[in-house]
Amino acid sequence: MKWNNIILVFSVLIGLPLLFWAVGDFPRRTILKEVLSVLTLIAFTMMIGQFYLTRNKRKMFKVKSIKKLIKLHKIIGYVFIGIILLHPFFIVFPRYFESGVEPMEAFTTLITTYNSSGVVLGLIAYLLILIIGITSIFRNKLPMKYTSWRLLHGVLSIIFIIVASCHAIDLGRHTDVPMSIFIIILSGSGVILLLKTYFSKPQNNRIKP
Amino acid sequence: MNNSQENKNISRRHFLGIAGGAVGMAAIASIGFPSNWAANKIEIDINNIEQQKNETDVLVIGGGIAGLFAAIKAYDAGSKVMMVSKGRLGSSGQTPFAKGIFAYDKNNSTYSIDEFVEAVSASAIGTNNKAYTRQVAEHSLARVNELKEWGFFDSVLCNKPFRKPIDKRGITVMERIVITNLIKENGKIAGAAGFSLDEQKLHFFEAKSVILCTGAGGFKPNGFPICDLTHDGTIMAYNIGAKVTGKEWNDGHPGQAKNAADCFDGWHGMFTKKPNITNVGIRHDLGVDLNYQAYILGNPLKMGRPGSEEPGSKVKGGPYVPEEFRRREGLPEGDKKPPKRKRPDNDGPPPGMAGDLVGGSSAGMAIHKSEGLVPINDKCESNIPGLYAAGDALGSYMAGAIYTQIGSSLAGSAVQGAIAAEAAAEYCKDIKLQAIPNSTINRIQEEMLAPLKREAGYSPAWVTQTLQGIMIPNFVLYIKREKMLKAALTYIEELRDHHMPMLRASDLHELRLAHETENMIISAEMKLKASIMRKESRCSHYRLDYPEPDNENWQAWINIFKGDNGEMKLEKQKFDSWPV
Amino acid sequence: MSINSIDGCIGCGTCVKTCPTDVLRLDPKSGKAVIKYPADCQICHLCRMYCPVDAISISPEKSVPVIVSWG
Ligand SMILES: Cc1cc2nc3c(=O)[nH]c(=O)nc-3n(C[C@H](O)[C@H](O)[C@H](O)COP(=O)(O)OP(=O)(O)OC[C@H]3O[C@@H](n4cnc5c(N)ncnc54)[C@H](O)[C@@H]3O)c2cc1C
Ligand code: SF4
Ligand code: SF4
Repeated sequence: MKWNNIILVFSVLIGLPLLFWAVGDFPRRTILKEVLSVLTLIAFTMMIGQFYLTRNKRKMFKVKSIKKLIKLHKIIGYVFIGIILLHPFFIVFPRYFESGVEPMEAFTTLITTYNSSGVVLGLIAYLLILIIGITSIFRNKLPMKYTSWRLLHGVLSIIFIIVASCHAIDLGRHTDVPMSIFIIILSGSGVILLLKTYFSKPQNNRIKP
Repeated sequence: MNNSQENKNISRRHFLGIAGGAVGMAAIASIGFPSNWAANKIEIDINNIEQQKNETDVLVIGGGIAGLFAAIKAYDAGSKVMMVSKGRLGSSGQTPFAKGIFAYDKNNSTYSIDEFVEAVSASAIGTNNKAYTRQVAEHSLARVNELKEWGFFDSVLCNKPFRKPIDKRGITVMERIVITNLIKENGKIAGAAGFSLDEQKLHFFEAKSVILCTGAGGFKPNGFPICDLTHDGTIMAYNIGAKVTGKEWNDGHPGQAKNAADCFDGWHGMFTKKPNITNVGIRHDLGVDLNYQAYILGNPLKMGRPGSEEPGSKVKGGPYVPEEFRRREGLPEGDKKPPKRKRPDNDGPPPGMAGDLVGGSSAGMAIHKSEGLVPINDKCESNIPGLYAAGDALGSYMAGAIYTQIGSSLAGSAVQGAIAAEAAAEYCKDIKLQAIPNSTINRIQEEMLAPLKREAGYSPAWVTQTLQGIMIPNFVLYIKREKMLKAALTYIEELRDHHMPMLRASDLHELRLAHETENMIISAEMKLKASIMRKESRCSHYRLDYPEPDNENWQAWINIFKGDNGEMKLEKQKFDSWPV
Repeated sequence: MSINSIDGCIGCGTCVKTCPTDVLRLDPKSGKAVIKYPADCQICHLCRMYCPVDAISISPEKSVPVIVSWG
């Protein structure tokens, strides 16, 4: 396995958002809030990164055993899906330590505000990632052939990343112009790469795990 | 936001320098102030403004703690109730920022009610209305217990605890509607009118009775969160013939020199605290003594809090403090038993008032409960049948013309809201709803929207800042003498006669500012005239040319009302009496 | 300059209702809160404390010159 390339991918996925966060003109808040924000940001870019850590890219990483790559994909997936699933709570959680609207009340307002598209997109993306997570954990228990599961996984991921990117660009506290462009390029090329494998390399689908 | 950029050119220090001097008045007029100067680009389709009529028994105007209790208690007494406020329930006026509420518990106090009233009267040098002082002691505990039930003491923000009893009763609350007019027909109150800040809509309220809970006001000062309050209720009521009082008194809070306009930091995090309950603790917090020291010695001041006597910092002369209330920092020596005192995060000066100060953070506001409508009895009733007022909108003199009991301002508003509500509900029982005639509606609509129709005129922001430059200097507002008061009055009359009729507005926000500016001009006139009339010094009113209390001539309050020709009239009303 | 910036707004409108001096409005196009009348901000932080997603930042300086009684 060519670790250099993996490290390169990670430094893009983690380093660039950190850089944009650091140099952007955002109000600086408490450490807790900033840590939670950065965690969410990185979780999201790591999710986009999943498009690059698939068996289709094994050539890029010069992987001999696909297993290692898949394992990495899984670990990253479960960890960062967890963070993504928690991130709505991250937003209201610091209210436990400061004065203001109560966290639960804030949360209720948060998930019931439908007059801007951002929250609606967020809720849809949330459901999608939840489904992606669950169908991955229980893949073996699903009455489904691997190839169909893989297709499902890919299609759900594409829809998720599109919806979630729109959500992040619309609502994200730190998605200024550079960060937005970064997200668009990263997720856009991820999606295109995956689609390419669907349409141009049917032989890939034949590989069994 | 470009405005702020433009203004960076004027350094604040430079500005303060000129504003403090007599030249300030003229200079201010020439400084580049924000908001679109030139043409009035009207953003409202003036010919397409809707009208909505609302009917109710009791109309409560104001969504502070007085309004809350007024609405609830009127409902419980069987009336149909509607509440309207220019801000949000529990998030407008002064209520959101007050954290100490007084509750008198006879089982838990070394004072009897009589002793409490006597102690307040002694500190207030007779300026308090004993009926209202007694009332707050009698009813405060019951109100505080209700607040407890609604979760008031468990929450930093009071919208939710206030909503609780309101929603339970299904009382209609209309927020972000600026009331500009009270309506009187056949000598009785008939309703009110205002406009929405969010849609192009005027609201007319037909009501059997109106309870004004519109709070106090000021000159949109810096450092005190009262920039939404401009004595609107007082002026509306004055305009239909109500008597108002208390305009010569002053709340004398200073602010911090650094970022003087920053209310939040100026109060050192008090806005982020949950409310608490305060016990009996009578004091004599002047505030004006600090302004006096600044006047005599100049700034920076090195001293303790107002009311405290610190060796070395004593200035000769200055406001009179009754013997038993001359005390050191926070220790009421005159009390039988000094109650345990927390840091006064209450009515008194902002906590931790250390560091460099500047004056006038609450400029334009009098002592709570000393200014507002004149009550004709202890039921919060005004001289206009059907019109009641409660809390900071009522000149009840509950605490006198000086801060006496910590936390009694919140408690007093709550108590009076409830008292006014019961009286109003009772009044409604034998009265019919009066229809507001179309002619009145048309006249009011015309008046209300006039600033939107002026293609040229003066921006409310500019007139406000000019007024601030005239009224806020220490030697006009706090340390008074006849010549200076008259000079300032000349300026204010100019604003009243020439600028007020030419206020312009380009949208609903500015329309609100235009009406608020108008109210501030009338308030300023009242303040100056009452201050000229009271030729003595007492409590928070201090005159350099009459520095002593004059018990022979001035055991009296000053009432202000509109004469038959529309001119402002002033009269005396003896302490401890009701209007005749 | 008093109320400073709004980041991460979900457009719930709470701050608009909550501001005593009517500084904020929802932008009809984006559906998000905008600082429409910064000169009228009294730096009271109510909007910030009520905002469910803590989107509002406020600085201690006023955007128009400050007039005081003595200084
Ligand atoms: C910073 C600060 C700290 C304080 N601390 C304490 C304390 O610790 N203890 C204490 O007892 N007191 C304290 N006070 C005083 C106390 O807050 C007030 O006396 C009390 O809250 C007044 O309540 P109210 O209901 O009478 O008026 P407010 O709370 O001022 O309410 C007025 C209402 O009227 C509405 N209104 C005004 N004009 C119009 C109009 N034209 N049309 C429609 N609606 C209108 C406003 O929107 C608002 O809802 C403090 C005040 C301040 C500013
Ligand atoms: S309260 Fe917060 S989230 Fe809601 S509109 Fe205002 S800034 Fe946006
Ligand atoms: S700080 Fe206060 S005045 Fe300023 S925008 Fe927020 S709520 Fe309004």
